[in-house]
Amino acid sequence: MSDNTTSRRSPSIRDRGPVVDFNGVCKKLAGRQILDGLSFQVRRGENFVIIGYSGTGKSVTLRNMVGLMKPDAGSIRIEGDEITTMNERELETMRRRFGVLFQSGALIAWLTVEENVELPLQEHTRMSRKRRAEVVRDKLELVNLWQDRAKYPAEISGGMKKRAGLARAIALDPEIVLYDEPTSGLDPVIAHEIDNLIIALRNKLGMTQIIVTHDMQSAYAIADRIGMFYHGRMIQMGSPEEIRTSEVPEVRHFITGGTEGAVSRRSVTAILTGRAPGAQSMRSEAAIAEKVLADARKEDTPAEEPAPQQEEKTA
Amino acid sequence: MILAPIRSAMRGAGYTLVLLLESLGLFGHWWRRRRAIFSQMHVIGTQSLLITCFFMLLVGMVFALQTGIEFARFGQTNLVALVIVSAMVRELGPWMTAFVLIARVGSSMAAEIGTMKVSEEIDALEVMSINPASFVVMPRVIAYAIMGPVLTVLGTCVGIMGGALVAYVQLGVKLDDFLRWAERGAEPLDIYWGLLKSLVFNLSAAAVACSNGMRTSGGAVGVGRASRNTVVICLTLTVFFNYLLTSFYRMVKKLVSGAV
Repeated sequence: MSDNTTSRRSPSIRDRGPVVDFNGVCKKLAGRQILDGLSFQVRRGENFVIIGYSGTGKSVTLRNMVGLMKPDAGSIRIEGDEITTMNERELETMRRRFGVLFQSGALIAWLTVEENVELPLQEHTRMSRKRRAEVVRDKLELVNLWQDRAKYPAEISGGMKKRAGLARAIALDPEIVLYDEPTSGLDPVIAHEIDNLIIALRNKLGMTQIIVTHDMQSAYAIADRIGMFYHGRMIQMGSPEEIRTSEVPEVRHFITGGTEGAVSRRSVTAILTGRAPGAQSMRSEAAIAEKVLADARKEDTPAEEPAPQQEEKTA
Repeated sequence: MILAPIRSAMRGAGYTLVLLLESLGLFGHWWRRRRAIFSQMHVIGTQSLLITCFFMLLVGMVFALQTGIEFARFGQTNLVALVIVSAMVRELGPWMTAFVLIARVGSSMAAEIGTMKVSEEIDALEVMSINPASFVVMPRVIAYAIMGPVLTVLGTCVGIMGGALVAYVQLGVKLDDFLRWAERGAEPLDIYWGLLKSLVFNLSAAAVACSNGMRTSGGAVGVGRASRNTVVICLTLTVFFNYLLTSFYRMVKKLVSGAV
């Protein structure tokens, strides 16, 4: 597509392994165990959606993935390369495989939409001005923003900012694209548009994409697989259908917006009896049981009610 | 614990110093960042020119009036010129210009970078493997360090003119008398020292502003805090460095001339 410097590695060996491989990752922040033995794999060319309650560390997961944060324990492999032991220079090279779309778009305020998309090209490639303009046009047309190229971020709407951020994220044709709540704060029509863009990127360009979201409608629409993040671990992973029909109470509770299932003692039984199909962890069964029991005890009071407060989901 | 704020202040100071050294070390990127440097020079320099000149003009005028009252008691109003020039070059010029710039530029610089930080723009730069110290901090520090002394020179001249104006109109000092005494007011060493002061004040202000911006957290409140801390810390540092540099000046002057 372009002569950028992201080297196209030979597809032979690497294609077989997972693109992103988290193995028992732990991270403690301000005295709270945010990631607690988090393990999951993302395969090449799939849309992997991470769902979970707010403030439970989904963003921390993304930050660990691109090396902006280092885990306390565990291993993170990106296309087979262990990144937890990389130095800053190696991390910079590694990050070029990623495109990241931040929640608010994170466009540089003093650059126009066009200049924002051009920025990574300018910084990391030796393309001629003309070639850069072509790539920028390509990307902006892909997100349908070419006509607004000369506007500054302050002059465009939230949905446009996200599309511009997406154009910038894919400017260098990364192999992996990360999305931090791509549809939050958008009206349903525009949210749908973004969903279609995400699907199109996978289909047209074969990118591996990891999407963190709260929006279940969008998750079902775009996901090849969904992983539910709960208390620093993946509590269930599976196809959208498996998640939709999940019997794990926490998952039910989340996907139904708190009307069904409950975060309660029952989840202990679910995990102990192995009824949670995708539930996995690096830790032994006993350790899981202990942790879940402790959590359940802590949350006993609100959890016994059939429908805990809705705010939990959106807060 | 009582030690906690001290420890966090030390951490902040350490971060500021490292950031300053890193951004100065990235000066080699100046060609790639020339657009940003020029636009920052415009914001810091050109746009501050009017307010700096107005400010310094009035400082010079008031200073001439105040000293004129005392000198008139001894019938030595001509000495006003001597005092104005030496005070402006060595003290008031660098100092007052730094104050104006801290209020006008330092606070907004911290707020701007702080907003970038809380709106994830700094994170975005990092995941794009663009070093914020090179992309954001270096152009600002360099532009500040260049335009600070430039404005100081202009401000000092305007201040002396203000003094001359008051001396002529209100104190009745003839212009050639003023100029004759003015020549004795400043030696080359005084001028170099004034420029050194100005460089130190403005460089430290730029570093503190950028560092406070980069360490911002906690939304709009955090941005406000960063801006406020910047002004307080910069003013404190300025008076502190001013005392330090004036003491050195006295020592050097002694060495050079043998006088007090």
